[in-house]
Amino acid sequence: MSAEPRMNFAFLRSTPAAAVGRNVGIIGAGPSGLAATGYLAANGYQVEAYDKLPRPGGLMVFGIPSSRIAPDRIQRGVTMLERQYGVLFHTRTKICCSAPLHEEEGDHFSYDMVGLADLLERHDAIMICTGSWKSRKLGVEGESLRGVYSSLEFLFPIRAVRYASPNVTVPPVEGKRVVVVGAGHSAVDVAHSAKQLGAQSVSIVYRRTATEAPCGRYEVERMVECGCTWLEQRNPLRFLGEVDVQGVEVALPDGTHEVLPADVVVTAIGEVPTPPFAKELGLENVRKGDVRWLNMTALDNVFVAGDVLTGPSKIGQAVYSGLRAARSLANWLDLRAQNRQHEYDAAADLVKR
Amino acid sequence: MTSGINETAPAQGPKDTRTLYIDYSKCIGCETCEAVCKFLYAQPRIVMVRTVDGQMLPLYCRHCDHPHCMKTCRTGSLTVDEQHAVLLNPMFCRGCQTKSCILGCPYGGVFATGEGVAVSKCDLCASRRKKGDLPACVEMCPTGAILYVEREAIPGLETDESRAAEARVTDFVRPRKEKS
Repeated sequence: MSAEPRMNFAFLRSTPAAAVGRNVGIIGAGPSGLAATGYLAANGYQVEAYDKLPRPGGLMVFGIPSSRIAPDRIQRGVTMLERQYGVLFHTRTKICCSAPLHEEEGDHFSYDMVGLADLLERHDAIMICTGSWKSRKLGVEGESLRGVYSSLEFLFPIRAVRYASPNVTVPPVEGKRVVVVGAGHSAVDVAHSAKQLGAQSVSIVYRRTATEAPCGRYEVERMVECGCTWLEQRNPLRFLGEVDVQGVEVALPDGTHEVLPADVVVTAIGEVPTPPFAKELGLENVRKGDVRWLNMTALDNVFVAGDVLTGPSKIGQAVYSGLRAARSLANWLDLRAQNRQHEYDAAADLVKR
Repeated sequence: MTSGINETAPAQGPKDTRTLYIDYSKCIGCETCEAVCKFLYAQPRIVMVRTVDGQMLPLYCRHCDHPHCMKTCRTGSLTVDEQHAVLLNPMFCRGCQTKSCILGCPYGGVFATGEGVAVSKCDLCASRRKKGDLPACVEMCPTGAILYVEREAIPGLETDESRAAEARVTDFVRPRKEKS
């Protein structure tokens, strides 16, 4: 016997509940968006999910290597939502505000741009689950040199190139010396991917020791087994080079400096959330828990869930956030339909339940 | 069925012996199982741990043939159902401070909650099973590491990698005594 062939986002009910006559739009079809979609669709909501990429799944499909999560497993779950739960997916569609397109990884896949106001007219409520797509910068000299990538800039094209977009090219690493900065799970995925793509050498530079590494000592040992070089207690000071990056200067604990030659440098030090209209939605207050309604933004009927709210986390945390926000959204629409919003007890809802 | 009073009719077909099996070598530690369980039952019944070498993996109840937790429980709160799922009856559990069931489980599959009912443990999603649904963690695992399989099939599913990964978990739950 083998595993269930698909991730069942509508796990709540094996057949959808009777239609409730409500229409919800979900922006972003990653783990949190798909979990919210599944919950609402199983409860009889008409759900439409929007995503900038050509396929739903978010970073489960476009970030995490396929050796860890089989993309077919996600795709079959999506197909199940479409066929059995009547979910409509609008891929290659970016929900936009004032910011221009082509700002973050994956934007060049979008053909269609839809405004938030249009969306609010189209749906009874919407949920923003756009995740965290902007890479954190080290803030050191030479970070804009050619050959310096963020982990997302490096990993995203490896998966996305299969969709044959002319704007996507896999970073050229064959025969090159690659230096990865950071020791989280993205750094591990970058290191393994670089090895697979035929890098001559892969070194991982981390400011603390393997014991403190967020990815854990086990993953560090796996990287070393695969032929990567683990360089701990090295703090990157600057990236050297004129046009192309040629090396990384790092500081050792004893205060001395060392230059690591490199043709490709990948900084894998985390991402920051990229919410559309953060100010208008009052996301800072939502983050602090200062809300009128669990996961609802300053705009009525606009909810938010997942990494876009919390910053980069894990699939599980995003799923949990999506599920809770979906339940909160359904409760909100129920009370509003009876004009009883004032009865909402935010304090009770904030308690883990 | 025709008599209308035969409520003890034998179950149709062979006995269902399915239980959870996690192939730890396929697990990426994403916490989805724990999240879904927590969403459904408030207190998760499958719980992530970080092993000594920094791997995140979920601990879970194996619904053993001879459950130690059940043997050590003096209140009769733990019973097995017809599928041999080990169930907790929260009404009987008095949260004894000996924590016998938690200490008795060799897999770390019984969890202290710190509030309400003192312990939580997996019941293979009993309410979902009644409807013919699979345990929620099995449905939502992104990697397919969590299987819901006949007990007899488990040895055949094990690989060198899965056994090595399992050993890392047992080393964490039951650290081997240092030889002095």
